[in-house]
Amino acid sequence: MNWSDVVFPLIAFMAGLIVTWWLRRRAYKAMFRWAERTEWKGDDILVAATRVPSILWCIILSALLAVEVSTLSHIWKTRAINGLWTLFIISLALSVVNVASGFIAYYGDRYKASQRAIIISNNIVRIVVFVLVVLGLLDVWGAPTAVLLIAIALAVLILVLSLREALPNLFAGLQLNARGRIKIGDYIKLETGEEGYVKEIDWANTHIEALGGGIVSIPNRKIVQGTVINYGRQLKQAREPFHFFGRAHLKELTGLKASNLRELVDILKTVPDSVVYYHTHNFIEEHHYLTPEPANDFSVWVSDALDDDILGERLAAIDTFEFTSLAALKDRLVSIIEEDLGQAAQHLHGHREAPEGREFNFIKSISVIVPTNYIVHDLREFLEALQVISLSSLYFHIFEARLRLGKGQNDFSAWLESSLDEKELAQDVARLDPYNYTLEGLRSLLIQLIEKRVK
Amino acid sequence: MRLLASKLSGKVIQNVNSTYAGGGVAEILSRMLPLFSQLGVDARWSVIKGNEEFFQVTKKIHNALHGRGGPLSPQEISLFKETSQKNIEEINLSGDILFIHDPQPIALVERKKEIGKKWIWRCHVDVSQPIEPVWNFLEPWVTQYDASVFSAPAFSRPLPIRQFLISPSIDPLSDKNRELPQEMIEDVLSKYGVPNDKPLIVQISRFDYLKDPVGVITAFKLVKRSIDCRLVLAGGTATDDPESNTVLAEVKEKAGNDPDIHILLIPPGSDLEINALQRAATVVLQKSLKEGFGLTVSEALWKAKPVVASAVGGIPLQVKNKSTGLLSHGIEGTAFAIRQILTNPEYAKWLGENGREHVRHNFLITRHLKEYLLLFISLDHSEDVIYLS
Repeated sequence: MNWSDVVFPLIAFMAGLIVTWWLRRRAYKAMFRWAERTEWKGDDILVAATRVPSILWCIILSALLAVEVSTLSHIWKTRAINGLWTLFIISLALSVVNVASGFIAYYGDRYKASQRAIIISNNIVRIVVFVLVVLGLLDVWGAPTAVLLIAIALAVLILVLSLREALPNLFAGLQLNARGRIKIGDYIKLETGEEGYVKEIDWANTHIEALGGGIVSIPNRKIVQGTVINYGRQLKQAREPFHFFGRAHLKELTGLKASNLRELVDILKTVPDSVVYYHTHNFIEEHHYLTPEPANDFSVWVSDALDDDILGERLAAIDTFEFTSLAALKDRLVSIIEEDLGQAAQHLHGHREAPEGREFNFIKSISVIVPTNYIVHDLREFLEALQVISLSSLYFHIFEARLRLGKGQNDFSAWLESSLDEKELAQDVARLDPYNYTLEGLRSLLIQLIEKRVK
Repeated sequence: MRLLASKLSGKVIQNVNSTYAGGGVAEILSRMLPLFSQLGVDARWSVIKGNEEFFQVTKKIHNALHGRGGPLSPQEISLFKETSQKNIEEINLSGDILFIHDPQPIALVERKKEIGKKWIWRCHVDVSQPIEPVWNFLEPWVTQYDASVFSAPAFSRPLPIRQFLISPSIDPLSDKNRELPQEMIEDVLSKYGVPNDKPLIVQISRFDYLKDPVGVITAFKLVKRSIDCRLVLAGGTATDDPESNTVLAEVKEKAGNDPDIHILLIPPGSDLEINALQRAATVVLQKSLKEGFGLTVSEALWKAKPVVASAVGGIPLQVKNKSTGLLSHGIEGTAFAIRQILTNPEYAKWLGENGREHVRHNFLITRHLKEYLLLFISLDHSEDVIYLS
């Protein structure tokens, strides 16, 4: 062996190492400056993942140069070059995997992707890189790749066919994560009616917690292709959730009948509050689709059956909303009728008898209260529930709770104030005189008030 | 409703009446039982047995409760008691709630001492002014029930047991009430020779003095002085009512040769024809002098027709004056109300729409079903506000 066979390759190696090392330093200095200037974390990931392997690449390049200038036989030279290329491909592949993992972790965290989605993405990257490495190495060592390529193509085809339903959802999921339009914790509503808080976006579905607590899984594709309203962040949570109740009622006859005003007032004094409640709220319950006349059954009977429009008007003019107890409402009714009876006695004109068959029948209202599935924890859920609860539920919380159950205010106002500290909104709701609206009209007004606050 | 129905889980509701076919009770039960079943409520239906003589006696009792006819003879009383005793001994009463309809099976409650359970008497009859001896004969049984149910407040009478008010209802999917194509309506008009060229005033009811068909013609003639229109009086004559032919003759005489008055004799069971005539009407009348619940009013209201009706029986429950129709108290008032409707189509439309909504919320079979569920539930509660978990 001649000394030059060793010295020249060594010189070439050292020279190559110096040049590549110098180039690497320049390149990383520039990259550090670039990384510092930008807020994007991607460049940091790129720098961190290639910094150490780049040393190896400098050595490999220098070694390649040394081999090229060496006097090795063609066979050994080829083997040495292939070995260096193998080393380079493997180190490059590891760097790519590191960079990709860094990006997946970064964007996964940014868009609150599930752990499952992150793992799946990492695995996909590793498989793809592994396949490319194998193909690269086979090419370097001169092995045939056609059979392997066909096998890979077939495997991909089978995978695509078997996942033809899942793939659009997978891509839609990636799209959702990438765009960041919908995030975990957002309240969304689809045009098809599903709505709730986003709990998880995985590779196939977006899982939302619907009103009432159930989890609804919606294919990602449906969310990407459809119209979705995103209401955004979660609102303040109530200390106690609001549970909506439904109400049905039954009429019980008391067997008591009045044919004239004296009988009416005498019986009225003795009947339970449930009777007063029935005769002052029956119109709303049976005719809630009409604007309620400010009338009660007593007023209608006095006007129609006793033909006393003046007293009928006085009884109709009683503002039920003024009262917070049925006993007080009954006292007002009794006092107006007794006053009228006193005046009649003074003027000696007395009062008429109702025609046969048109007596006043005292009826008692029996309420049956049942819990519904609607339990809400914040204003947005409350708003959504208000739009779908039955009118009987609305009636119960607004009318019955306030007057019949003696709470003094409607259930909505009470909850808004005590559990959500929404004092102003609670007052606005409490100020609404429900007797002046149809139940649907009342629902719309409440929705408007809450919407204004939520926005 | 499903929630309410779930509270009756495990309970058997046993309905008992006198027949599986014919009559309003059988009709409503045959429509309601499948609905109970859909809600998961085990509702069953049994009938009592009796010979022709027994049912003649029960017919007499029925009329007497309505205030017609006279007291029962000792033989009739004896026959009723004997047949009832036989039924008491033979009928299988397996229900947890025994829902007994009308007076025919009323005596079954004698089994209460033996088997216990909850007993409800569902009275479909107006017993406000009965023939007293007949009521006194039935009352000892009535008072043994846990509760009774009446169709209108005025139909009840003072009783020592709980009395509930549950109005009857219409089935929107029945032939009498379902939507009809315009061609079918035209066909029925053409079949009965009624030209569809003028506003049509229609009263559907049998030819009975209590339905005041003569008064209807008088009111129509008053209206016709100022508005060109037609009148259709459609109904049947009852075979068990000898008076009906006399009434029909009087009606024909009163109508004279007026080509705008159409008196139509409709055979029983012509539900589609009645439906078509109501749908063809511009105004539907029910000018009764006395009325039971008068469900024909709800049928007309369901078709969004403006209704003019007398304030009798159960009609004021269905027609809230000036909101869901117009109530009248006499011939002139009826004519005035018809004129108001014919000359104010927008007002007529508003009344009709309100009427339909009123029926939707208060007189459809679904409401009836719900109230029966509530009734069964309330038997176990004495409080006025019942909380179910």
